[in-house]
Amino acid sequence: MRRLASRLARPATLAVLAAAAIWIWAAQALWSSTVPASAHLPHLEASRFFSDSFLRRSASYERFLEIEGLLALATLLVVLAVYAQRGQRLMRESAAGRIGTGMLLGMLGFAVVWLAEIPFGVAAVWWQRRHGISHQGYVEWAIGSFLELGSTFLFVSLALAIAMGLAGVFRRWWWAVAAPLFVGLALLFTYVSPYLIPSTKPLHDPHLVAHARALERSEGVGETRLRVQDVHRFTTAPNAEATGFGATRTVILWDTLLDGRFSDAEIRVVLAHEIGHLAHDDALRRVGWLALFLIPATALIALLTRRRGGMARPEAVPLALFLLIVLQLLATPLFNLVSRHDEAAADWSALVATRDPAAERSAMRRLATTSLSNPDPPGWTQLLYGTHPTAMQRIAMSYAWEEESE
Amino acid sequence: MDSMDERPIRLTVSDDLKRGRLSVFFRLLLALPFLIWLGIWAIGAFVVAIVNWAITLVMGRPNQDLHGFLARFVRYATHVYAFLNLAAEPFPGIGGRPGYPIDLEIDPPQRQNRWTVAFRLVLALPAALLATVLVGSTSSSYSSEFGGAGLGLLVVAAILGWFYAVARGRMPRGLRDAIAYAISYAAQFWAYLLVLTDRYPSSDPLTAIGPLPTRADPLSVETDDDLRRSRLTVFFRLLLAIPHLVWLTLWGLVALLAAVVNWIATLVAGTSPEALHRFLAAYLRYQLHVGAYVYLIGNPFPGFTGAVGSYPVELRVAERERQNRWTVLFRLLLALPALAIASVYVSLAYVVAFLGWFASLFTGRMPLGLRNAGALALRYMAQTNGYLFFVTGAYPYSGPCLATPPEAAAPGPAAAPLLSA
Repeated sequence: MRRLASRLARPATLAVLAAAAIWIWAAQALWSSTVPASAHLPHLEASRFFSDSFLRRSASYERFLEIEGLLALATLLVVLAVYAQRGQRLMRESAAGRIGTGMLLGMLGFAVVWLAEIPFGVAAVWWQRRHGISHQGYVEWAIGSFLELGSTFLFVSLALAIAMGLAGVFRRWWWAVAAPLFVGLALLFTYVSPYLIPSTKPLHDPHLVAHARALERSEGVGETRLRVQDVHRFTTAPNAEATGFGATRTVILWDTLLDGRFSDAEIRVVLAHEIGHLAHDDALRRVGWLALFLIPATALIALLTRRRGGMARPEAVPLALFLLIVLQLLATPLFNLVSRHDEAAADWSALVATRDPAAERSAMRRLATTSLSNPDPPGWTQLLYGTHPTAMQRIAMSYAWEEESE
Repeated sequence: MDSMDERPIRLTVSDDLKRGRLSVFFRLLLALPFLIWLGIWAIGAFVVAIVNWAITLVMGRPNQDLHGFLARFVRYATHVYAFLNLAAEPFPGIGGRPGYPIDLEIDPPQRQNRWTVAFRLVLALPAALLATVLVGSTSSSYSSEFGGAGLGLLVVAAILGWFYAVARGRMPRGLRDAIAYAISYAAQFWAYLLVLTDRYPSSDPLTAIGPLPTRADPLSVETDDDLRRSRLTVFFRLLLAIPHLVWLTLWGLVALLAAVVNWIATLVAGTSPEALHRFLAAYLRYQLHVGAYVYLIGNPFPGFTGAVGSYPVELRVAERERQNRWTVLFRLLLALPALAIASVYVSLAYVVAFLGWFASLFTGRMPLGLRNAGALALRYMAQTNGYLFFVTGAYPYSGPCLATPPEAAAPGPAAAPLLSA
């Protein structure tokens, strides 16, 4: 008991405990929601809202993608584990210094993963094409995926240049400087992200613009950029997103949402939902959660890469990649939980702003049917993949709101 | 290395560079009768080539007489193109007989692999792409894909050489050798296509035209590359170069400003300031390292600082030297011909990278000829940039050459020249 007390009294232990307390406090602050605690989601049978054939078809469609996703995940882990063991051999392909060599090893790690995951990507495209969800050709997908890898390389190189550069100066404490720097970069990226999304144009439909302006006033958000993204060449699935903050806050509607399958009232619900995200500053909150992940994650990476000479050495990079991906996977259920929490709050705001639960229900049904999304998936898939509440939970929320507002 | 003597098709150069101004001025018109005769001959050669192909496919060896006829045709085409493009001075005659200052030696018929004979047209496609960039093309698709103006090295060098020869009565050695290099490759290509040989055309500029001059240029390229290529990094080469391309762009913006300051300083002082010279030399070295990596001339991932001796394909930059103030003042104008040649060499580098990508991916090695052709292109681009950035006052040398090692410039025992493009 005395030994435990003396161990707890050490400065390092105290610092860790203080950091943990701050972490918990910050997480609690970020967890706040506009959904009243009294709101109770009723249990609803999916068969009341969706046909049996659709339920069977969507479950089968998603099951394939879920299993394929799990296999891809396993492949990712195996490939990166092997790369963590043997990746340092590729140092011979570099004539650069330690940071340049580290960047090369980082990029090659993702290159190997990309190669290993090609069959899964092809299988997913095949399945989506088979179900009419994607129009993308295989070559088009391969080229797009290859070019996306280029942007991954750029980010990996930048991150490694920062981490390895700082590790050269601050040694084992590099993470204490790097984590805030990464958060700062994430903030900057979030700010400019609306300008990085390709193939967008302004929303011209005067009715929708008028709806959006009214909803902004109702939800207490300043004037927002409204854009339409051209995606119908690749997919039939409808979607929308809110991105940016401050002067760059933007709502982007996919053109598949505006192709006539959705009524004005349904689109209005989607708009209200996205404006809800802006009202809650969800983009900034996501950066906050990222900070809460990055600080312990970088500290852990710094600790576990010491036996490879620390992050200042290129030999440590393959191991660091593996650790980062493992930590990210471990944090995925938490991130998904946070995301579902934010989406539920945005749904609630949309209901408050539109006061149209019938349109909400109709929009959710149509979103599920047009993207062949299982309205009531198994719990484990929600844990691993569920970034949004299920369609049934969202429909249930509309009833909860009706009950709450009476 | 594949030496000139081992090749079945060899270009020989005995031209003395002297040119008659009148003959140069009217060269295109003077060449017309020969071009018409060559065209008539080509019709016959086409028919004979098909017969020769069928015989070689059946017998495994070309017919002696048909081989002789086609060899004479290719030799005659070489003479006419050398005359037309100012690589040689005298009239080429009409028979394609040996003895012309730019001539071709073709070995007698040899046994050939029947498979390569059967698929000769397909197999010749990569060589045709390279021949297109060296000789030129009227196809617009070529110019749009590879960024060139559709004029190959041969035509651009001939146009520039025309102005020089009309003014000076001589052909510059660099331009003459560049033209000879292009003609040598074209002759090998046609000999391969017409089944005169089954040896694939070599694009190696170091063995294309016989003995090369050894030069001590202020900017020269040395290669210490073993031709081994990592398939993994070759496959992703363009993506792996992205961080370098971003850094090169940022550094290039600063280098551009430094070049402007260097221009003014060199104009005033007659020499480039030490600090600017060092900074710009490092930038040029880095540019070459990145170029070598992207175009597959080198294998390892380069460093980000352009450090001396850090890469197997290295740019050697001499100490700063006095520069003629007049040439400094009008440098941009003076550089225009070099930029025209450089644009063709950029196209050559693209084609080298494109073909080298497939070759390296399948064999794990970069073909020597492609590597050296790429190194020649990189050297010329580096010399042009060095000239434009006032790092040197020496005009870029457009032909293939050997580089003298630095110590050879000093008195003492003669050093062996380094193999360099």
